[in-house]
Amino acid sequence: MPSLVERLRSIVGDEACLARAEELFVYECDGLTLDPVRPSAVVLPRDTEQVASVVRACREFGQPFVPRGAGTGLSGGAHPTPGAVIVECSRMDRILEVDAGNRIARVQPGVVNADLSVAVATHGLFYAPDPSSQMACTIGGNVAENAGGPHTLKYGTTTNHVLALELVLPDGAVSRLGSATGFAPGYDLVGAVVGSEGTLGIVTEVTVRLTPIPEGVETLLGIFPDVVSACRAVGRVIRSGLVPAALEILDQRTIRAVEDSVYAAGLPRDAGAVLVAELDGAACALPAQVEKVRAIIGEEGASEVRVARDEQERALFWKARKGAFGAMGRLAPDLYVHDAVVPRAVLPEILATVCEIGDRHGVTLSNVFHAGDGNLHPNISFDRRDPDELRRVIAAGTEILEACVRVGGVITGEHGIGTEKRDFIGLVFNEADLDAMKRVRDAFNPDGVCNPGKIFPTTRFCVESNPKARGYDRVPLA
Amino acid sequence: MSALGEELREALGAESIVEHPPVEWDGHKLELTFRPPDGDRLAKGLALLSERGLAALVRGGGTRSHWGNRAERADLILSTEALTGIDTLDTEDGVVHVAAGTRLDEVRAAANSGGWELPLDPPGEGTTVGGALSAAAIGPRRLGFGPPRDCVLGLEVALASGERTRCGGRVMKNVTGYDLAKLYTGAFGTLGVIERAWLRLRPLPASLEVRVAEVPSSVDPFALTLELARRTTTRVAALVGPGPAERIGSGCLIEEGWVLVAEFAGDSPATERDLEWLEGRVDALPADADVVGGLRRIQGAPVAPPGLRARIAVLPSALPETCAGLEASDLELVVHPGLGLVYVESHADLDGSLGAVDGAAARGCGSAMYESLPSQARAGRDVFGASPDVVPLMRALKERFDPTGTLNPGRFAGGL
Repeated sequence: MPSLVERLRSIVGDEACLARAEELFVYECDGLTLDPVRPSAVVLPRDTEQVASVVRACREFGQPFVPRGAGTGLSGGAHPTPGAVIVECSRMDRILEVDAGNRIARVQPGVVNADLSVAVATHGLFYAPDPSSQMACTIGGNVAENAGGPHTLKYGTTTNHVLALELVLPDGAVSRLGSATGFAPGYDLVGAVVGSEGTLGIVTEVTVRLTPIPEGVETLLGIFPDVVSACRAVGRVIRSGLVPAALEILDQRTIRAVEDSVYAAGLPRDAGAVLVAELDGAACALPAQVEKVRAIIGEEGASEVRVARDEQERALFWKARKGAFGAMGRLAPDLYVHDAVVPRAVLPEILATVCEIGDRHGVTLSNVFHAGDGNLHPNISFDRRDPDELRRVIAAGTEILEACVRVGGVITGEHGIGTEKRDFIGLVFNEADLDAMKRVRDAFNPDGVCNPGKIFPTTRFCVESNPKARGYDRVPLA
Repeated sequence: MSALGEELREALGAESIVEHPPVEWDGHKLELTFRPPDGDRLAKGLALLSERGLAALVRGGGTRSHWGNRAERADLILSTEALTGIDTLDTEDGVVHVAAGTRLDEVRAAANSGGWELPLDPPGEGTTVGGALSAAAIGPRRLGFGPPRDCVLGLEVALASGERTRCGGRVMKNVTGYDLAKLYTGAFGTLGVIERAWLRLRPLPASLEVRVAEVPSSVDPFALTLELARRTTTRVAALVGPGPAERIGSGCLIEEGWVLVAEFAGDSPATERDLEWLEGRVDALPADADVVGGLRRIQGAPVAPPGLRARIAVLPSALPETCAGLEASDLELVVHPGLGLVYVESHADLDGSLGAVDGAAARGCGSAMYESLPSQARAGRDVFGASPDVVPLMRALKERFDPTGTLNPGRFAGGL
């Protein structure tokens, strides 16, 4: 009898099946570099039939399988379990159809997010979800994580833009869910699969809604003495009746990291925070909206409000925002990117709380976040080689999540639960809530072979009993 | 009081069980209504019904009781009408937490008073939050409002087992676990009974304008209205055939062709510009919002036998061909080109109308859902038009959420 690897090679070809240790190394984890686990093999199929055959082969050999896009996820959603086969969809990268008249596109899951917008730009259209990793992340990965981005505030997340899916079910059957019309009879199976972190099957084709490129865009940069006043400005903009395309905040530590990096945008290093506000839509309506936002920002204490004079300056503002995570590499060897969401009205209070928690634990905490959605990214820079610092980082992170949940928030807005937060999901949902989710998983994936070990807690009351659940303590010291 | 009624009263309290003269529903004569006053009683009652193998037909305001396939079994009605009240209206954040039996007009009024708008406008006076979400019911403003699922941030749902569960939350972005709110929205109450919902509101528009126009024969009505639908501020862009044009109070009496109904909402400069665009193409007359209300009303009430009402969904590009066959069949049509939707209503020739609707949906490579259909025509038919390909997955879900078939058995897509 052939081995599993031999069977996989017979399906995808020798060059598309990786099984040597040095080839498998980079697949031990995704953007969450903790708890790496070596897979038994990696396959790179080119079409749906190959994916289905791979799934059937894995079942035959009793091995779990893990779908993977570009591996940019931050919560371990594409982490293998021991012996698992990674099904990497990066070679399924064709845009199968662009129907500009009906404003839809049909793509394979390995299409890079930004590439789709480039491909449809000649039709005056774009693909709206724009996660920070959009130059690398794939549509299939976006579907798995229900990816968001800075412009979620106006345009919504991935789930608002996916009309239909082709899914290889965990038993190897191929199912088509949803409808390009947007009106599929029956349960909203597309809605269930988007954001399910690859636990319900492997997405092999995605029909997405395309959005017209807005006629006009205006981008403002408000410079604030502190992050709390910037949050108050966001609250007032929301209450004013405007629906901005984006409202993003960077705090002082982030600003300084950015200005010290290749992403420098000329931000004042002594500013307590900057707010990037973007408005788009009908060009004739924008001047009044800009004045309204400018006035609010000024009234809430901004020392300066800049309005981008041209596309170049707009790109500069965004360079600072989108380069923020990369710039933080300058602060310390390790970065723990948190992702929590709170009601927008409590942003000023929760930011003060988050900063107090960071100070109390003596950790280097910076904030760059989607303020308009209430989506926080408290980022803790640290050095994993210092056990005491590691302990404080974990304690601060846990307290931050608990504080967000206490004010009506949740523990992830766009990164997902994965392996990172599966032992924290109990902060938000009780056993009955999770049991309802398991009913869905069991309907699609009854024996749990598809992406095991994600989302659901490994232990009961784990948050209290296992404060090191996220695994930093298990990272080998350099 | 029947023996069952007595037993339920004893277990759930007298205020939860209402005995009434027989109500005819899909051939079932129902004399009991389970009307829980709170979530605990709802859950307890569901557990009891499941244990006893009893079947409940779930309703909110009863405005869509005529929807759905014929119920396989029915022992009583489960009404969420007593679960009422707005728990939280957060005008800072633009969210509302509301009990399922609360009428939409009550939520709408409360939201408006705080400067916000509820982006749900299904037909049916008395429609409740739970009913609208369970049916994923839409109205003429669906173009501007988006689908009902988009405004649902979180739900509290009682399962058939009697477990009270939550999914989602009150925040704008959330990927904490599976997005079960998507599954429950539009599930017709077959996976669980919605008890409460967190809904996302929208800012009230600064400017609102309504126009009606007869579409000249020299103009391609579908191309015009599709282009209109894609203007920035358009939230209603409908083509209305001769019969419905009179019934909605458009003031345009036509014998053939189309009346265009447009509503613009947004900032004044933008709505004014879109109005100018429209007025440059047709003679558009100002109208009040009652015309949009008229559109909503005619899509609400059941059609008396032997009539029917269906909603056909196709891609916008397929609309001309889809409608050509229907116009030839002398049916009453309301078309939303921006959504690819055609509402078809007939008042005679049931078999001919069914053939025309099914044929049109097939020609447009879309689907047809019958919202109102005489009982005899529903027998043996899936009025939702679900694809057989997805029925096994849907059945697997139904079996896990409602293994005893307590909730609306047989009424949903695929006969679930």
